[in-house]
Amino acid sequence: MITFSNVSLLYPHSTKTILEDLSFEIEEGEMVLVMGETGSGKSSLLRLINGLVPHHTGGILAGDISVDGISTRTVKPGALAHLVGIVGQNPLNGFVTDIVEEELAFTMESLNVAPEVMRKRVEEVLDILGLTAIRSRSIATLSGGEQQRVAIGTALVMHPKVLVLDEPTSALDPIAAEEVLSVLHRLVHDLSITVIIAEHRLERVIQFVDRIIYIHGNGETAIGPAEEILQKADLVPPIIKLARALHLNEIKTSVRDVRRQTEDIRSRDFPTVASSTHAVTPAIIVSDISHSYGAKPALHNASTTIGHGEIVAIMGRNGAGKSTLLHSIVGLHSPDSGTITVNGRNPVTLKGPQRRHAIGYVPQEPSDLLFAQSVGEECAQADNDNQLNSGSTWALLNTLVPNIGLHTHPNDLSEGQRLALVLGIVLAANPEVLVLDEPTRGLDYRAKNLFTLALKEYATQSNRPVLLATHDVELVAELADRVLFLAEGEIVADGTTLDVLLSSPAFAPQVAKIMSPKPWLTVSDVVTAMGNSE
Amino acid sequence: MKTSRIFTFRGASAVTLFATSAVSALGFIWPFLLKHKQGHPQWIFLIAVPCALLLLFINVSNHELDAKSVALLAVLSALIAALRPMGTGAVGIEPMWFILILAARVFGPSFGFLLGTLSMLLSAFITGGFGPWLAYQSFAAGWVGLGVALIPRRLIGRAELFALALYGIIAAEFFGIAMDLQFWPWALGADSQLSYVAGAPLATNFAHFFSYHFLSAMAWDIPRAIFTTTLIFLTGKPVLHTLRRAYTKAAFLNPIEFIERAKEQAVAK
Repeated sequence: MITFSNVSLLYPHSTKTILEDLSFEIEEGEMVLVMGETGSGKSSLLRLINGLVPHHTGGILAGDISVDGISTRTVKPGALAHLVGIVGQNPLNGFVTDIVEEELAFTMESLNVAPEVMRKRVEEVLDILGLTAIRSRSIATLSGGEQQRVAIGTALVMHPKVLVLDEPTSALDPIAAEEVLSVLHRLVHDLSITVIIAEHRLERVIQFVDRIIYIHGNGETAIGPAEEILQKADLVPPIIKLARALHLNEIKTSVRDVRRQTEDIRSRDFPTVASSTHAVTPAIIVSDISHSYGAKPALHNASTTIGHGEIVAIMGRNGAGKSTLLHSIVGLHSPDSGTITVNGRNPVTLKGPQRRHAIGYVPQEPSDLLFAQSVGEECAQADNDNQLNSGSTWALLNTLVPNIGLHTHPNDLSEGQRLALVLGIVLAANPEVLVLDEPTRGLDYRAKNLFTLALKEYATQSNRPVLLATHDVELVAELADRVLFLAEGEIVADGTTLDVLLSSPAFAPQVAKIMSPKPWLTVSDVVTAMGNSE
Repeated sequence: MKTSRIFTFRGASAVTLFATSAVSALGFIWPFLLKHKQGHPQWIFLIAVPCALLLLFINVSNHELDAKSVALLAVLSALIAALRPMGTGAVGIEPMWFILILAARVFGPSFGFLLGTLSMLLSAFITGGFGPWLAYQSFAAGWVGLGVALIPRRLIGRAELFALALYGIIAAEFFGIAMDLQFWPWALGADSQLSYVAGAPLATNFAHFFSYHFLSAMAWDIPRAIFTTTLIFLTGKPVLHTLRRAYTKAAFLNPIEFIERAKEQAVAK
């Protein structure tokens, strides 16, 4: 279906070769994952398939790419629109109309399809993707998973033979991600559509994919069956790390297979380690708060206490009230009823430097905090605001992620770098409390590790609380001491990470799924427990 | 091979631009050209000017208006159309001219012309400001965009900002004169000190027009000029920077090259 022969790519005004001498063939009905670090050229590879690169961006393309026998050299991307459907990371950025049905028709409208055909295809796609129940809903009111399915639908209406997806599940909670991936799985198996997908959250996708293209970032690429590539790769999901730590002979990608391999380990008895509970002094006290937006209740009688030095994760579906709770704690609005104190003060009353010092807040879209034209200007501004010696924020940023260009525009940074920049600016004020809303969207494993270390250091060294809302169960397992689980605006579970994550099938991390009922969440938990027993 | 260029009037479309602009320019200045009272020229131009505009759009959309130009045009004209009613609308406080001028500076005068005409039309849809004046307004806004070509390309930094601000004053006054010219023959009845006298000597009509214009300028054009220039000074630097980033990102006229094998190419060099 897709053939790359000796493909190399070089962008204009750049000396770095993005891809070098890449050759592979993808068959009809295959599902292929493209993995690699941020900025390694995953998106370029995807856009080569429908000719956007180089027809839209410019660049030198060596070798030949053909899709269904058509060379992308000879035709413009528009001529491949019926053949290759493309879906971006954030579906909302791509929507043109307000209503699901209209959005599905829009692609065909642009490509001049006859009305009767359009009518029929909209119905087909609604059925294939299970969107019938929401066909006349406004897109803005849909959940993330539904939106992503609509986006896939808009690509499917042209009956493409190839579907290209750039990080389709990064912004979704685990359940919504499952929903999207099972739809893709069905498309591949029932309709024999070829699916090419780029994704950072490997733990979600590897069980579905046939082959992996691994872009190393230095121009080298490897392609092969999932097990073979993952055996050697640096960026691997917990399931592979576990297999490596336990020295399993074969690398398997599904929970079921690894469970079978590890039966003997789970049947052994391990001494239970008494968890050290140390008394913590309360830093943030939330008592009985409720909040609603118009008639829509978002939080209902939520109460909790967060102690100094604790890292607390807030989890729950999209729209469960996570962000509302964070906004209340940060003091963006005062709740309708109930009180919040942060180190004894009401967060709503804090102003200016006092506020920056009391609460550090990283919003869901980190770039909301960035205004300057370059990284250097942002850092200088932060120094100035916090009366620091010039260069302090820059130095702090360099400890978080080295190699950021001082003159780079903040919008040109990768997700990970941008998050680090915002975190650096927020931490420069030396806040007493750190609050983060979905910080790890779009981060690869390496960036996530750095981020985890930075937060742990902040929490333990200065004994300050960190509060983060996230969908990333693997991150929570590594990082958090405690988890608050929200549903319908109420705190339905509040306990140690182990208790909360183990008891929920949907939100359990991979290692816990494999090792259940053993109380282990991460690879290091397993290794420590086995070390202790020997 | 190169990626597509941003929209520019060239060849046939340049001729169309010239011809349609000439027709609509006549629609503005005819009161000074007629020696004798004859017929009803205002009615003729009331039909001719919108037709000229329509012709121009048909011509432009038949020529190569590539996807990236369309996208930029759509986003910017939506922005301008939304900004226009955000001022009070009265006394010429319309926060749209500064964006139009800055965008025309970055994306070129041809693009500026299309942006001016389209955003005027679009904002009429939003505000319900439909009327015989609409086609005149569109052309005048288009010329404001086109006129940015007068500012030399090589100016940068502070000099560029001053030139743009100066142009802001000229553009505001130009738009004011154009709108007054368009309205003047219809206004004030036939026998006031300020009204158009069909067939009267040029001097009389000039005198009448400029007293009329002076009165309206006090209320509309001077505030418009001050407002536009202030906004250019205040927002010029970041807005120009943002638009230029968009221009770079859109990768206009980037070279595309297809070669057989990267390695052989290296050897050949």
